[in-house]
Amino acid sequence: MKRILADVTAFGRQYLRSRVGTFFALAFPVILILLFGSIFSSSGSPRVPLAVQDQDMSAASRGFVQALNNTTLITYQAIPSDSTVNFTEYIRQHSINVALKIPKGFQATLLQAEMGNTSARVNVTLSGDPTQSSFGIAYSAVAAVANGFNLKIANATEVVSVGEAPFTVQQFGYIDFFLPGIIGFTILTTPMFGMTSICAEYRTRRFFKLLATTKLSKAEWLAAKVLFYVLLLFLSVAIMMLVGIGVFGMKARLTPVAVLLIVAGAFEFTSLGMVLGIFVRDPGTGEALANAIGFPMMFLAGSFFPIDSMPSFLQTIARALPLTYINEGLRATMVLANDATAVTYLLITLGFAVVFFAVGARGLSWKSK
Amino acid sequence: MAARTRPKTPWPDALSPGSRGGDLGEHVIEVHGLVKRYPDITAVDGIDFEVNRGEVFSLLGPNGAGKTTTVEILEGLRDPTEGEARVLGVEVPSGYRRIRERVGVVPQDFEPFDRLRPREAVTYWARLFDHPLSEGEVAGVIDTVGLTDRADAFALNLSGGEKRRLGIAMALVGEPELLFLDEPTTGLDPGARRELWTLIDDLKRKGRTILLTTHYLDEAEQLADDVAIMNHGKIVARGSPSALISQYGGGTTVVLAGAGRGGYDALVARGVAAELHGSDVLVHVPVASQVRPMLAKLASIDMPLTEIYTKRSTLEDVFLKLVGARMEEGVLAA
Repeated sequence: MKRILADVTAFGRQYLRSRVGTFFALAFPVILILLFGSIFSSSGSPRVPLAVQDQDMSAASRGFVQALNNTTLITYQAIPSDSTVNFTEYIRQHSINVALKIPKGFQATLLQAEMGNTSARVNVTLSGDPTQSSFGIAYSAVAAVANGFNLKIANATEVVSVGEAPFTVQQFGYIDFFLPGIIGFTILTTPMFGMTSICAEYRTRRFFKLLATTKLSKAEWLAAKVLFYVLLLFLSVAIMMLVGIGVFGMKARLTPVAVLLIVAGAFEFTSLGMVLGIFVRDPGTGEALANAIGFPMMFLAGSFFPIDSMPSFLQTIARALPLTYINEGLRATMVLANDATAVTYLLITLGFAVVFFAVGARGLSWKSK
Repeated sequence: MAARTRPKTPWPDALSPGSRGGDLGEHVIEVHGLVKRYPDITAVDGIDFEVNRGEVFSLLGPNGAGKTTTVEILEGLRDPTEGEARVLGVEVPSGYRRIRERVGVVPQDFEPFDRLRPREAVTYWARLFDHPLSEGEVAGVIDTVGLTDRADAFALNLSGGEKRRLGIAMALVGEPELLFLDEPTTGLDPGARRELWTLIDDLKRKGRTILLTTHYLDEAEQLADDVAIMNHGKIVARGSPSALISQYGGGTTVVLAGAGRGGYDALVARGVAAELHGSDVLVHVPVASQVRPMLAKLASIDMPLTEIYTKRSTLEDVFLKLVGARMEEGVLAA
């Protein structure tokens, strides 16, 4: 144990004296939290800018626009209603993503319908790229408002309505769902990227050979790295939590299972870094390999986006990624208070960790052939 | 802070470094029929040698001669293909774990941990041998290698020579009986090399046994008690520098500076075998006892010259004769 502590002390000193390592372990996650937290937390869901050309300029058309604004889904932007302004040309020239045209005669058609003319029809036109999510949001808003107008003209009453019931124990905000993902992201990047390049550096600079002449065993060396990264991740998570609570009023809290998941995750990705270190011969290759594995994993495993929103084949891939169980486990215990699921994911994480450790400790040679 | 009592060394007092002065004759390293074969090359090809306690033994040879492979087998870092190697009475590499506290290693191209200070690096290394040192003891080790003024500088900022000295300091933390120094001065400027020679000489005088690999002939000649010249995985000659020079070096050369063609002709006319080398004339005297009579004979011959002096053969001459090529920075030159 004394040798492990000696290695933790020496390695920790070197790590914390490296500005790059400290930045990515401690500062970068905070920057992500501040950035994404500011974007998504301030107003709940983001509004879609919707440019509207009101060619009718009537009380009814203005009411339609007002109703759109009230949905809180869109931000109204006016396109001049002047007949000299071509709707399509204006969209192109101003690089507008989604635009709505309310045609001349909109109010007159509504009046005819109210008078009982069953053949009265008027089309509002939504222009944009249907593959974009902003188009879908704008379409929902326009369709809902049009539907409301139709019901009113028909003098119908609302029979089916939608109520809201939060599915979390408390009322959580975006930051509460986002922060566990950032913790997972940090658990992936800090130990795995670090260990891969450390293995490459130790091999090229012959530190492994030097260490092999001491009493420190390979398992002790790896245990020292795991211990250091656990301590570093605790510090990093503490800073993240303080920022989340202090800046965004985050309500999610660390639970005992979350702490265990962080420890298991550090063990898992330190070991995976060592496994990757088996295959790298120089620091450049190490960085490339860690990037090739780490970047897809951080996106596919739900660090930034919910896995449920992905296509099914990507969800299948996500289920095979070790980071998925850390992200989902942390959300389960920190946000959903579902410790049973979190413990299951903790056990899966430990399973991955043991396998990676065994492969890494066996495959990484300090000596020469 | 008061220095703590040093933990008792794991080996008997009779074998402790400080009590071994002049205890020559006991073999600290024994190598018999050692072979290391790779698919494309035989790096070490059946070598035999022994290293006596308290001596500096040098494996001398060009790059690729098999020196580092041999040393790494002795350090427990490589498995031999054939043969036997024993270090401090223990077969290696299998038994190396039992003796690693008694051995200090400075590998080839040693580099320290960049962001550790020498003081921290020595403390760290001692703890890896379960041999914690007090602050005073750490300062003592650092002082031994002449790094006291740089003890708190980051290793990143040390010069090449200072880094190698730090490597030796780390190797000394367990007060080892045996030191492996693998090309410790390669890449250093002449001043730094001289400083390291002084340090190695000090360690030798304190009774350490040192296995030194080098491709610098002057280094081996200066430091080693015993030299094994390696080439293509084989030991081509073995002995003390003076014995090798006597055996292979061609004795002493008398240099008649500025004697020119006229001097050469005059010597040949008096039956003296001479060699014209630029404007100098060289006369080789194979036996030391013949130097004085030859000088007397040369003095009796009238010829123009600016200076007369004798030049003793060096290991460089030995190497040239045995290998058939000169060695420059570890590379054989035609």
